[in-house]
Amino acid sequence: MKKFPPLGKPKRPGRAAVEIRDLSKRFGAVAAVNHLSFEIEPGRVTGFLGPNGAGKSTTLRALLGLVQPSSGSATFGGLRYDELDEPSARVGAVLEDASFHPGRSARNHLRVLAITGNHPPHRVEEVLSAVGLSDAADRRVKGYSMGMRQRLAIAAALLGDPQVLILDEPSNGLDPPGIIWLRGLMREQAADGRAVLISSHVLAEVAQSVDDVGVIADGELRAQGPLEQVLGGSDGPATTVRAQDPVRLTGALERRGHRVDRDGDVLNVFGATPEEVGEIAGHERLAVLGLAPRTRSLEEAFIALTGVQS
Amino acid sequence: MTALLRAELLKLRTTRTFAAVVASAAALSLTLVVLGAALGKETKAHALFTNSAITYIIVILGAIAMTGEWRHRTITGSVLAAPNRVRLLAAKAISYSVAGIALSIIVTVPTIIVGELVLSGRGLATLGAGGIADVLWRNLAVAALLGPLGVCVGALVRNQIVTVVGLVIMAAAIEPAVFQAVPEVGRLLPLAGAPGGVLGGTHGDLSPAPALAVMVAWTLTIFAAAAWRLRSRDLV
Repeated sequence: MKKFPPLGKPKRPGRAAVEIRDLSKRFGAVAAVNHLSFEIEPGRVTGFLGPNGAGKSTTLRALLGLVQPSSGSATFGGLRYDELDEPSARVGAVLEDASFHPGRSARNHLRVLAITGNHPPHRVEEVLSAVGLSDAADRRVKGYSMGMRQRLAIAAALLGDPQVLILDEPSNGLDPPGIIWLRGLMREQAADGRAVLISSHVLAEVAQSVDDVGVIADGELRAQGPLEQVLGGSDGPATTVRAQDPVRLTGALERRGHRVDRDGDVLNVFGATPEEVGEIAGHERLAVLGLAPRTRSLEEAFIALTGVQS
Repeated sequence: MTALLRAELLKLRTTRTFAAVVASAAALSLTLVVLGAALGKETKAHALFTNSAITYIIVILGAIAMTGEWRHRTITGSVLAAPNRVRLLAAKAISYSVAGIALSIIVTVPTIIVGELVLSGRGLATLGAGGIADVLWRNLAVAALLGPLGVCVGALVRNQIVTVVGLVIMAAAIEPAVFQAVPEVGRLLPLAGAPGGVLGGTHGDLSPAPALAVMVAWTLTIFAAAAWRLRSRDLV
């Protein structure tokens, strides 16, 4: 197999594994993607989130050269997908509607892809084994379950041992063990220095797998960054505190300019760290029964950022 | 390009449609030729071995192969594996040219052998080596060009049923009708007119060489149109 630079080290030093710059795509009067910019770094799993119709799949298809951007660019280390040498050895992709000729077997599909991509024949057996399809490799794909087809799509993406893995709703059809396996696979790929971009609307799934997230709605990027940062939102720090006298503590916090949501004896304090809340309580000589930083759930962050109920 | 071509040929060899069509075409062609050779009153060997509709099956096979990329939604995977769409189309077109030649050999050679034996047994004139070579090159040339033509029409139309039905109607009804009405135009058409000239059958107003040139021109023109359309098409 052709040797490439070590994984995790982009071909052009200093460039992100994936760069999307001011990308726009219109279908007639509909702006599917609108001036979108973000980057994906090697060695990280990045979640690409958004409600249905937000523009996730169009963005990924523009990145993979399947749709022509109306403006802007989407590149891998500065090169368009169709400019890459042996692209399947650089980028592996699982698209939402991954399909196969029903009359051909998994092994046959992978052999065809191996020949097209100049990958050695033994990779076919390796990826079949990696996705757990070795025993069914000679069966025709039309007899496969949806989960088996999804595993075959993942095998096809891994065939060239790519440095960038793009997964569009990859858990569709996978059973719970399959989803756990997929999470492990993504973490392994990132640990090896590869860049993994996963698009999903299953927020809980993404929260357990990713390092970074990008949130898109109406074709526009609403937030991007490390998971914790986006989970916390842009409201600054927040703290959950349980107080012996919640009414007095609420007054003390509000006098110092903090917004407080009260639920019984539990207060959610916005704009203050636990240390600051503890300090205020101590200054007021108020007993605190519990104190913890508050993070918004991904669901809350998602709804707040997109304005859409997931 | 070599890798793409190998991949396309592997697809072709390992898809049951092609094997089934080859077997059916060979059996049907053999039956028709044996019946014609055994029962025909004024059987002319050359016409018997060239005026076969079996040759046109390859255009349908090419069309099915290309439209199947959309029908089975495999076009996305194909373009991801080979982002240069023109090369992808060229590889598929060339592979169906090779397939056309293979199909033609598999169908034509046994029918010639059996047909010659039957004609010889009845004491009728046979082709001889020169005649056999003449029949072979005509059949092979037509099949080699009709395969890519089917692929390119499929890439333009995309819908499998519309493409196949359209090609059949064109070859079986429209082109013969045009030939009847305006022979000067009909003999230049791609599915029956010009191939008829190459095969030297009833449509053969054009002599083989110009008819072949017309077929090449049709194939290249439709390839160019299909390549342009495939390049500019969004795969969503």
